[in-house]
Amino acid sequence: MSATDFLFAIWPAILAGIVAAFVPREMSPRQRVALGFIAAIGLASVKWLWPSELPAVVAEGAKAPEEWPHLLNLIVGLPLVGGVVVMFMPRQLLSLVRGFTLVVMAAAFLASLGLLTVPMTAGWHFNYSKDWMPGLGIRYHVAVDGISLWLVILATFITPIAAFASFGSIKTRIKELCIALLFLEGAMIGAFVALDLFVFYVFWELVLVPMYLMIGIWGGTDRIKAAVKFFIYTMVGSVLLLAAILYLVWANQKLTGQWSFDYIDLSRVVLARPAQMLCFWAFSLAFFIKVPMWPVHTWLPDAHTEAPTGGSVILAAVLLKLGTYAYLRFSMGLFAGPASSLAANLAGVAVLGGVLYGALVAWKQQDVKRLVAYSSVAHLGYVMLGLFGATPSGMQGAVLQMVNHGISTGALFLLVGVIYDRRHTRQVDEFGGLAKVMPAYATLFLIVTFASVGVPGTNGFIGEFLVISGTYVSERLGVFGGIHTVGAAAGVILSAVYMLGVVQKMFFGPLTNPKNKHLPDLTPREALALAPLIVMIFVIGFFPGVFLDRMKDAIDMHHSQFKTVSGQAVLYSDEKDAKLLPEDVFSPAFLDGSPSRMTGPKDAEPHAKNDAANGGAK
Amino acid sequence: MTAYVPILLLFTVAFALAGVFFVLGGAIGPKNPTPEKMIPYECGSESTGARFVKPSVKFYLTAILFVVFDIEAVFIYPWAIQFRALGWTGFVTMGSFIALLVVGLVYVWKKGALEWEK
Amino acid sequence: MTRLMAISPLLVVALGGVLLMLAEAFSHRREEGDVRHTGPSSELALGTAVTLLAGAIMAAAVWMVGPEKLETLPGLAPYYVADRFTLFFTFTICLGGALAALLAGGYLPEHKLDRGEFYPLLTFGTVGAILLAAAGDLLSLFIALETMSLAVYALTGFRRTSPRSTEAAVKYFLLGSFAAVLLLYGGALLYGATGHTDLAGIRAAIMHPAAAKPANLALVLVAAALILCGLAFKVSAVPFHMWTPDAYEGAPTPATGYMAVAVKTAAFAMMLRVLVGGFGDGALASWAAGWPPVLALLAVVTMTGANLVAGRQESVKRMLAYSSIAHAGYVLVAVATIPRASEEAQASVMYYLLAYTVSTIGAFGALVLCGSRGAEAVSYEDLAGLGKRHPAVAIAFTLFLLSLTGVPPTAGFFGKWYVAKTTIGAGLYPLAIVLLLNSALAAYYYLRVLVYMYMRDPAPGAPIAKPMRSGYVVGALVIAGVLVLALGIWPTTPIELAVQAALTAR
Repeated sequence: MSATDFLFAIWPAILAGIVAAFVPREMSPRQRVALGFIAAIGLASVKWLWPSELPAVVAEGAKAPEEWPHLLNLIVGLPLVGGVVVMFMPRQLLSLVRGFTLVVMAAAFLASLGLLTVPMTAGWHFNYSKDWMPGLGIRYHVAVDGISLWLVILATFITPIAAFASFGSIKTRIKELCIALLFLEGAMIGAFVALDLFVFYVFWELVLVPMYLMIGIWGGTDRIKAAVKFFIYTMVGSVLLLAAILYLVWANQKLTGQWSFDYIDLSRVVLARPAQMLCFWAFSLAFFIKVPMWPVHTWLPDAHTEAPTGGSVILAAVLLKLGTYAYLRFSMGLFAGPASSLAANLAGVAVLGGVLYGALVAWKQQDVKRLVAYSSVAHLGYVMLGLFGATPSGMQGAVLQMVNHGISTGALFLLVGVIYDRRHTRQVDEFGGLAKVMPAYATLFLIVTFASVGVPGTNGFIGEFLVISGTYVSERLGVFGGIHTVGAAAGVILSAVYMLGVVQKMFFGPLTNPKNKHLPDLTPREALALAPLIVMIFVIGFFPGVFLDRMKDAIDMHHSQFKTVSGQAVLYSDEKDAKLLPEDVFSPAFLDGSPSRMTGPKDAEPHAKNDAANGGAK
Repeated sequence: MTAYVPILLLFTVAFALAGVFFVLGGAIGPKNPTPEKMIPYECGSESTGARFVKPSVKFYLTAILFVVFDIEAVFIYPWAIQFRALGWTGFVTMGSFIALLVVGLVYVWKKGALEWEK
Repeated sequence: MTRLMAISPLLVVALGGVLLMLAEAFSHRREEGDVRHTGPSSELALGTAVTLLAGAIMAAAVWMVGPEKLETLPGLAPYYVADRFTLFFTFTICLGGALAALLAGGYLPEHKLDRGEFYPLLTFGTVGAILLAAAGDLLSLFIALETMSLAVYALTGFRRTSPRSTEAAVKYFLLGSFAAVLLLYGGALLYGATGHTDLAGIRAAIMHPAAAKPANLALVLVAAALILCGLAFKVSAVPFHMWTPDAYEGAPTPATGYMAVAVKTAAFAMMLRVLVGGFGDGALASWAAGWPPVLALLAVVTMTGANLVAGRQESVKRMLAYSSIAHAGYVLVAVATIPRASEEAQASVMYYLLAYTVSTIGAFGALVLCGSRGAEAVSYEDLAGLGKRHPAVAIAFTLFLLSLTGVPPTAGFFGKWYVAKTTIGAGLYPLAIVLLLNSALAAYYYLRVLVYMYMRDPAPGAPIAKPMRSGYVVGALVIAGVLVLALGIWPTTPIELAVQAALTAR
């Protein structure tokens, strides 16, 4: 590409930057430069994302680039190591601690963009595995596929934003905050990429402590109760998960004679019917609590209401996705039988208890943050519905909706945090006519509301549309498919009612409350935190293909496998003992990720070690 | 077990007899209490002071030291009788036993437990 | 001299104890009104720690050589069994004792309890504990038990002027003697029934009714019940736990830590020796008519009861006492699975005790560090705002509490995980579920400490706990903290060693 071509290619971006920098009034030069920069970047990315240019990018990398095996270790390890480093930094140097934290998070984000450099074919990418406790069959095994890819990027994308926003509003104990945020990020990413159930469980539990501290230390008035409730709820779920993991591993050991905690190895095990049911419930209960699904959702409104803004953002945007992701990956992957036979009932719970009940309760909330929290319950109801329906489009929609919800709810919590920082209240009654004093704020709020409601052109529309259309055609839901579709569609309307209702009450109408007369508009820091989210709302809204293309293969494989395995599970349902499915049930791309296959000829070695550890004293 | 029956019998009779006398004495003995009779018996002289006097802790200490260093004899006698049979093993064993006792004595001495007045 | 090699850990500790005793007697005696900060006991603390660590190192050395290859003294065998089981427990007990001694080195001078007797007592208590782990005969078992217990009674009542400490010592002494009597009585009945006092002989007599002198099974059952009661007392299982909270609360904190760690470990060693070695097979070890269901029931009651009561405590020290009872319950779960998964269950007991040792001594150590002269940290309020004032102490405390809760990647998590794995593998699903639910229940009261440390500010005007300065305590905490993380992240080696150390079922 010659220089003129290059200039020609980027001139719209430059123009956008200039316009954005000069048009606004009453702004300092620094703010103008920042704004112009954002506009230029935004336009450039839109241009790059435009579908017609996609083939060029693919053609350039026709030969699949080499996957660097340590990339995932880097992404997981950066925040964790960063957290340890911050622990030894002097707490007086606030700017150093903050800056370091942001740099580490940004580095993790950039590293996670490296995941996009390879074509996401079906199967596992950036597969890395290393023996941890060979005698027990525990391996450090991480990999991404088209599903977890987006959640990893979501985590690395949201956490710096949440951290940046937190530094604006939280002024006490910055060092602890940074440590908690970094550990939280590392643990969340770890849980998204772990393929060994033990490693997954370790990360899953590790998420609890920093989040608990975040709610408990920097939260609102009732923070301690909320923090303890959060911890105990999740802990109860996860100990049952642990029991089920151990049962499954024992079953596998009895069948194959090998210890393995690996997801891929354990996928082949079909348990006897009652055990299968119990293990499915133990797994799913832990995940449903995290999602959260009705009726175990009651910790969420408290936790959200009391958590600081940054904490709420991470909680809503990433942490809850652990539950939905884990249901998709582990409950559906390991217990396809029950996941299939219970799908219709669970989908009913998701529609009634999640989408409709969540929306109705949200409608009656006076506290904006609580309202957003209940809207989370409703939105995650869509995600779960898409997963229960288990059609390719429904699952794609569900995964996309996970990302969408992360972006739009994260943005909503940031926006609520803005008004809370100014007025120290979140009651809807206290506001009214804010659009007059805070025009930029009102605009952004409206955009995010549209995204949350699912107005076409925003990200929410794509996700909800895919989920609802997937539900309608789902054979798993049978005759209920139609009913659930109607319920879910009604939920969309309800969400428009409550979200637009609150916008109406807060921003329009007369400016009655005198306390609101002199509220300052968004500060540059707040705008900067929100900008990437707003951009992403439209990027996903206009170019969903970028996201759907990369997850399509993985979802198709997961779906077809789910279908086959659940069919096999029905065949085995009368068996008294656990069974091992033949390998040809699975696609080779799936099985190739297994470390026992990756090592190939060294297969016998872990087996020998097993014997030494377990039979040594016999 | 039958060999123990007479002993059991003896115990039963002894306890029963004691109990009978106790009850009899209480039941048929004449009772004529006076203030003098009601005071605790103290060898005929008038009792003085509180009823419960704590003996000095020194007595306990002396008693316990006596027990500790007296018991050694129980071990040393059989060893002395079997001295030749046990040979060097027995000698070394007993030597270390006595050495430990000496250490204990040194400790007690150094701590001042052997001094009556400090 | 090579014959002594097998018992060298015990000899090292015993001789060290004698030397410490003499050193203490000859050391400079502090006069009244002497305000020097360090009395004689600080050096003694270091000496004790070195002695006990030397014991642990000797145990490791003998392990490397291999106790099977070593010639031992004639006639030692049933009274002191020099096997890998003994060595593993010797290591754990010595480690716990050494850390407790380091805690005492900071605690005693700070709280004007600076009398050197503490250290010889601690060392001799450890001698008793090692003997207890090694005893393969009811006679030496009883003597070892009394050696250990007498030392610990004295440690409990170490704060002579405090009525609470004295009360604790008396209570512990009376109930402890009662338990010892039950054990002794059970042992006597067992001797009557089988004609043996050594555990192997007892087992043979129970197993082979056709032997020269058939065992009276009714008598054996009564004896087993009595012995189980005595053992339950010693490991403080509910409902035999009544002495524990009072004794733990009244004793000086390092002594409490020692009791919670070394004494409990030794009691579990004794339990394994008796149950596996003496009652290890036949109907007695069956799930239909033996001790396993009794222990399972005890475990359930212990875990649940202790966790429920622990949540209601206002004193952190008392809470930790109940927590140690609850942990005894978790270990009992593993003990109950022994008939179904012998080596692995024993290994999980041993690993759990090792993990529990470092976590608990660390938690008590953090509590010691939080208090200073005249203001011992005991209640939750004392810890309020500690995370803000002394973040390093608070982080250490948090680490140990998380390990006790069972949050990865700590030793406590892996211990619980391994017990659950064994239990599920043995097919005892309800027991595993109760264990895991209990660990979620326990999170509540461990978290409460975190709540006070990080989320509450001290009430205005309330006395504020000022952490003391002591290199010994900090050293102990560092060692314990490193071990908590190391055992949690690399548990493979200790577990393999524990599997090797397990008693054989036949």
